[in-house]
Amino acid sequence: MSTFLYGVKYNNMAQKIAIMEDEELILNLLERKLIKEGYELLVARNGEEGLKLIKEKKPDLLLLDIIMPIKGGFEVLEEMQKDDNLKDIPIIIISNSGQPVEIDKAQKLGAKDWLIKTDFDPQEVIDKIKKQIG
Amino acid sequence: MAVEKKEDEKISTLLEDLDSLENYIRDLFAFLPLPVFLLSPAKIILEANPAFEQITGYGVEESIGKSIEDIFNAEEIESLIQETLEKGSIRAKAIFLKTKSGEKIPISAATMLRKGEEGDIVGYFFSLFNLTDIKKKENELINTQKSLLNILEDTESARKEVETERNKTLSIVNNFTDGLLLFDKERKLFLANPQIEKFFGIEKEKIIGRSIKELAPLPGFSSLTDLLGEEIKEAFRKEIIFKEKLNLEVSTISIASGGEKNEALVILHDITREKIVEKMKTEFVSLAAHQLRTPLSAIKWTLRMLLDGDLGEITREQREFIEKSYTSNERMINLINDLLDVTRIEEGRYLYKPVMTDIEKIVQSVVKSYKEEFSRKDIKFKFKVPANKLPKVLVDVEKVGLVVENLFDNALRYTPSGGEVIVSLKDNKKEIEISVKDSGVGIPEEQKEKIFTKFFRANNILRLDTEGSGLGLFITRNIVEAHGGKIWFESEMGKGTVFHLTLPIKKEFEEFLKDF
Repeated sequence: MSTFLYGVKYNNMAQKIAIMEDEELILNLLERKLIKEGYELLVARNGEEGLKLIKEKKPDLLLLDIIMPIKGGFEVLEEMQKDDNLKDIPIIIISNSGQPVEIDKAQKLGAKDWLIKTDFDPQEVIDKIKKQIG
Repeated sequence: MAVEKKEDEKISTLLEDLDSLENYIRDLFAFLPLPVFLLSPAKIILEANPAFEQITGYGVEESIGKSIEDIFNAEEIESLIQETLEKGSIRAKAIFLKTKSGEKIPISAATMLRKGEEGDIVGYFFSLFNLTDIKKKENELINTQKSLLNILEDTESARKEVETERNKTLSIVNNFTDGLLLFDKERKLFLANPQIEKFFGIEKEKIIGRSIKELAPLPGFSSLTDLLGEEIKEAFRKEIIFKEKLNLEVSTISIASGGEKNEALVILHDITREKIVEKMKTEFVSLAAHQLRTPLSAIKWTLRMLLDGDLGEITREQREFIEKSYTSNERMINLINDLLDVTRIEEGRYLYKPVMTDIEKIVQSVVKSYKEEFSRKDIKFKFKVPANKLPKVLVDVEKVGLVVENLFDNALRYTPSGGEVIVSLKDNKKEIEISVKDSGVGIPEEQKEKIFTKFFRANNILRLDTEGSGLGLFITRNIVEAHGGKIWFESEMGKGTVFHLTLPIKKEFEEFLKDF
């Protein structure tokens, strides 16, 4: 099992997917699943690191957790919306919460989808990614 | 002799004159409309006129020779005579007269003492004036006066009442925690309470008399005037935000006063605190969901990937254990979801974005996911849909799906193998009815009342399984009622239960119009 620090794993020609997630186990599982699917990953464990990372290496899609230390998912959404370089990146929220108010708010801030982790399997996350970026 | 003759002639002329004078007096006496009579010193009536006859009922002949005490009260008449003796005459004295038929008539009597040439008393003149009419008038006058006084009193007390009411209304208006604006028929503001001054930070003198158009440019008013419009549209609990930190709920009420156009009352209710609490609750539920679900989602994903072979090969035995763990974890996830749903129900904002939907589709999708489970448990399953297409209903699709799932789940759980479950849809014209009938264990009679309460689980099913959260039917009823529907059931122990629920049909067209 490979572990990630903040960083990039290269895979030429592959689509780049950024993950901002503070839950180590979820991160590990996603990483395995996504690499197996052939994606290249940009991984951050909080919003602040994540924003730095995606500004540097523009990803094709972002998997974004909401409750994270230092900078949460909503703040990331707000900042991305203000940034012309980042505002077009498709975003899928992966969260343990999922109240309609929150989902609405995320949608208004440009998120494409909202997955409640307990209601989805990792495979379904892959399906949702494919729906966004083919 | 000539002289004598002359004297005789004179006497005869005098006698003639006297005779005509007597006739004159008699005529006058008879003609007088006032009852008049002459009384002897021995108080016997000597003479009386027709008017006297009329008032007393005694004929003129009959009265003459009658004692005065037969006609008047002895004491009253005695004192009147004494007074006459002393003063010579009395102009008016009110006494009572007794008629032949025994009736008592109030009269005013005037008297005059008659004296002979030597100053001896020869009798009394009496003249009477009937006071009946005057008394009657007087009584009427008194009554009129009394009733006038009563009216005045009533008016006064009514005035006081109105004043009290007015003071009450004013103190309500002035101390009301909601802001009140009252517009007249011309849509000009004529009343604003102190709370309005507080909300807008403006003295009411500066806004009274203004129309909506004239209020709009004042600081802070535009969001309100935009919502109301010049004609003051109907509004019910519409939210607006003032000065960034003040959340107000606006309602308008048309006050009927008979004309074509009515006065309009605008109520502004401060919901800033509720908004803050709501936000805190959202944040709390979000955090609770996060804390409770985080470990469960990690376990779910790990087990799933193990089962999918993403983390390497596993043995058949390992697979069995992992599958069981996965199911247990799912149960825990469902329990947490129920708990979070309950929290949101109790916040009162469980329904979210209702849309016009085909109810059959919602039920069909739940049927699809349960069909296999029913057949696995060897339960016959039927889904009955009416031949005619059902009208659409305005519902929160996800929540109504949850309702159907809950009912299916109970039917599946509490119907033994070999049983039957029938789901049917019915068009009741004003509502759609969904029924779920099972041949299950039934609900004990003494526990039927509690079936929809939170955390309730019936005795007989507790023995069957210990999995349920006791929240399903509580959530179900809340969702149905939030849609304006009803839920009820019939159940017989050992034979089965039917749950019925209704969802009201709102015509799409009405909904369409509502937005204008």
